[in-house]
Parts: sequence; C-alpha cells; structure tokens
Amino acid sequence: MTAFAVIAGIILASGLMVVRSENLVHSVLWLAVTLIATAVQFVLLNAPFLAGMQLMLYTGGIITLMLFGVMLTIRDEGVDIPNPSEGHLAGAGAALAFLVPTLYAIWGTPDFGPMVDPITAKDIGSSFLGPQLIAFEALSVLLLAAMIGAIVLVRRKDP
Amino acid sequence: MNPIVHALVIGVPLLTFLMGGAALATWFERRFSGKMQTRWGPTVVGPAGLLQPVADALKMMQKEDIVPRAADRTLFNLAPLFPPFLVIASAAVIPFAATIDADGAVKATGVVADLDIGILWVMALAGLMVFPIWVAGWAANNKYTMLSGMRMVAQGISYEIPMVLCALVPVIFAGSLSLSDIVAYQAVHGWNALSLSPSAIVGAVAALLFFLASLAEANRIPFDIPEAESELIGGVMVEYTGIKFGIFMLAEYLHTIVASALTAVLFFGGPLGPGPAVLGLGWMLGKTLVLFVLIYWIRWSLYRFRSDQLMDLCWRILVPLSLVLVMLSALLVAGGFA
Repeated sequence: MTAFAVIAGIILASGLMVVRSENLVHSVLWLAVTLIATAVQFVLLNAPFLAGMQLMLYTGGIITLMLFGVMLTIRDEGVDIPNPSEGHLAGAGAALAFLVPTLYAIWGTPDFGPMVDPITAKDIGSSFLGPQLIAFEALSVLLLAAMIGAIVLVRRKDP
Repeated sequence: MNPIVHALVIGVPLLTFLMGGAALATWFERRFSGKMQTRWGPTVVGPAGLLQPVADALKMMQKEDIVPRAADRTLFNLAPLFPPFLVIASAAVIPFAATIDADGAVKATGVVADLDIGILWVMALAGLMVFPIWVAGWAANNKYTMLSGMRMVAQGISYEIPMVLCALVPVIFAGSLSLSDIVAYQAVHGWNALSLSPSAIVGAVAALLFFLASLAEANRIPFDIPEAESELIGGVMVEYTGIKFGIFMLAEYLHTIVASALTAVLFFGGPLGPGPAVLGLGWMLGKTLVLFVLIYWIRWSLYRFRSDQLMDLCWRILVPLSLVLVMLSALLVAGGFA
C-alpha cells in the first residue's frame, strides 16, 4: 500500500509537470516519467507482462514518436518551443467533470482482494484469442484505419 | 534462497564481469584494430598495454567538467546516468550457467532475476535506450549533437522492429518469454540456429538478422550513423568532457557485451554444450566472446552506411524478412517440426 501510494504520487506529480512545463521537450520527458511509473504500478499489481508492454509500447514507442514530432516541428533556430498553459478555469472544469464519474466508478467497484497469481502472457494471449476476440479484432481494424488515414494524409497530391 | 541474497551472489560477479569486460573491451578494440592494420596499438602501460583502460579512466576523471553555457543544465547532467544503467539492468535476465536437476533435465542458472517476461524486459529496456541519448544530444544545444540525436532515434526505433520480431522466433519455438525456458528448449531440441532440425534454418536467418539489428541498436559500424565522426564530429557526446564522456563510452562497450550474450542465449544455446553441465559458464562466456570478437571484426572491416541506405535496409529488407520468419516459425511449431 505504501509503495502504491508513493508511485501514485509520482504519477500525479509528473502528470502535473507535463501540463505545467513551459518547455515542450520537458513536457514529453515528464510524460515518460509518468508512463514508467505506471509500469512500476503494474508490477506492484502482479501483472509483469503488462508492465513490460507498458515500457515497450508506451514509453519506448509513443514517447519516441513524440520526440520525432518535436524534432520535425522545429522550423527555426533554437530549441525552445513555448508551451504555455492557458485556460486554467476551463481545464479545471474539465478535470472535475472527469473526476466525478471516475470516483463514482471507483466506489462502485467491488474489492477483489489481493491478487494471488500473476497474470502471465499466456493468460492474456488466450483471453485475446478467446472471450475478447471480437474486441481484439475491432482494435486491429481501428489501427489499420488509423494507418491508412495517416498514409492518405501524407500522400503527395501530384503523383 | 532469499531473493536479495541470490541477486547479490549472482549480481556482484555479473557486474564485475560486465564492468571489467567493458574496460578490457577498450583495450581489445585498440589492440585488435592495431593488428588488423599492421600497427601496434597500446603497448606502453602495463604488459601488452593491458593497463591502458586504467590509465584512460584516471585521465578522464581528472579532466575539467565543462557544461556549455547554452545547454539545458539539468538534462545535460542527467542524461549520462541512464545508458549504463539500462544495459546492465537488461543483463539481469540472461542465464550464464547450467545445472542438471534431479530428473536429468538441463536447467539454466546463473541468472540474477529469472523473470517470466525475460526477453520482453530486455526489449523494453532496449527501447528506452534511445531517450537518454536523444536527451543528451538535445540538451547540449549543438547542431551536431541534435542531428546525431535525431539519427539515433530514427535508427533506434526502426531497428527495434526487426530485433523484436527475430527475438520472437525462439520465443515461439520455446513457447515462453523466459530466457531460461528458451535455453531448456534448446537443451532438448538442439540450438535454435545450429542443429539438424528443419527449424534451424529459420533460426539461423533469425539469428543473423537479430545480430545485425543489435549492431544497429548498439551503434556499431556499419550502423554507427549517429556518431559518424566524418560528418558529425562524434555524435551526441561532442559536448561532453571527462568522465561523462567516459560513461557514454562505457555504455557502448557494455552494450556490445550484452548484445553478444543475448544472441548466444537466444540462438546458440547459451550455457549448453558438450561436456558436463559445470562447463556451462565456460560455454556461455566462450560463445559470448566469439560473437563479441565478430562485432569488432565487422567494425574494423566495413565502412558505415549512408543514413538513407540504413533506413532502406531496415524497412525494405529486414522488417519484411523478419515478419516472414515469425510466420514460418509459427507454421513450423503448428506443423510439429520444432
């Protein structure tokens, strides 16, 4: 429980730093801290496979893509990209609107008690190809659509 | 055994081996390249120049620590800490020895933490490796380091794909992500890349691609575009002085050792070999050494690719080929050939 609280604190603090940083690169790096701390949380929840995937896909993949985005948007000399925080009130409102249903969902969830067996890669694999098959396939179609969309967007107009 | 005691008993020798190996690697690289180019290499400090790494380390520690005025100070100082940490942490799941348990089956031991997600852990850490290097290049605020960092990220995420896909081939054969299970599978069915079974053909091609992709991940020639000294002076390390520069170099040499050890475990049986199981450690170190020498041999024989040729090789050849290998290995397992 103590470990959970410490890691949750790190996640919250670094998440706050993501939006508070004035420098875009610092924001991205704070987001990396958030995601790595989330992976640690998965380890504490006895889901090592999920933790590995979190590190590999989110931290290793998504953040790298964001760094790419940052690099490709640097048009002028100098590397400081302004990243001001604006609209504090609207942001607070949106956060509150998200907080209320989340808290409601958390209180509505029964206590599963401590996890005894770790969730292995085999469990996840057989649930993907078993009960969750339709959701899994729908997700892959979604990703395919996103990929085709990206190709259409970057395609040159004159062939 | 208490896991902390276990980790200390295995981890301290492993750390000593890796750090000592990295120090010796700097000596070896210069000595080896010297022999290849008909010159001497280090000869003065100690017998055959063996104490040269000690002298280098002492020299680096005495150098002035300079931080460029325009640099992002915090990130610039933080970046060198991570590469050696990531490489050493990924070595924690590699089994270095073998024993025979009560029912006669060979079992891999000598591993600091035998995680169920073994290979995933290594790949996840390898994926994280690009950050500190990119951050170092960005924080130094120098156009050469910035360019080098961009190349590093592009190369890192491109070559990660064939590396992960090729690492999946032994995973599919063994039906487990754990490196010790992969060794146990090879104890029964022969080495993944070198045996009489038909799966060894797929395994051998996968081993070759995996090795090439690890060379790219470790930034060795012919894939060392990020530090192409003729264009970029010396890559992201340009603005680093003294021991911080030394730490980056340490991470690179460590990376070559860990990449060799990983290839040996995944495709060449790791601690398996003829003779009693006690020789496992020797086999493992021997195989690692052979692959390690191969990396340096390639480095001093070939020249580097151009940046676009590098991407071409990865996306047009290595990625499709490794996808085919993954499918073939799944078919072999489904057909009962592996």
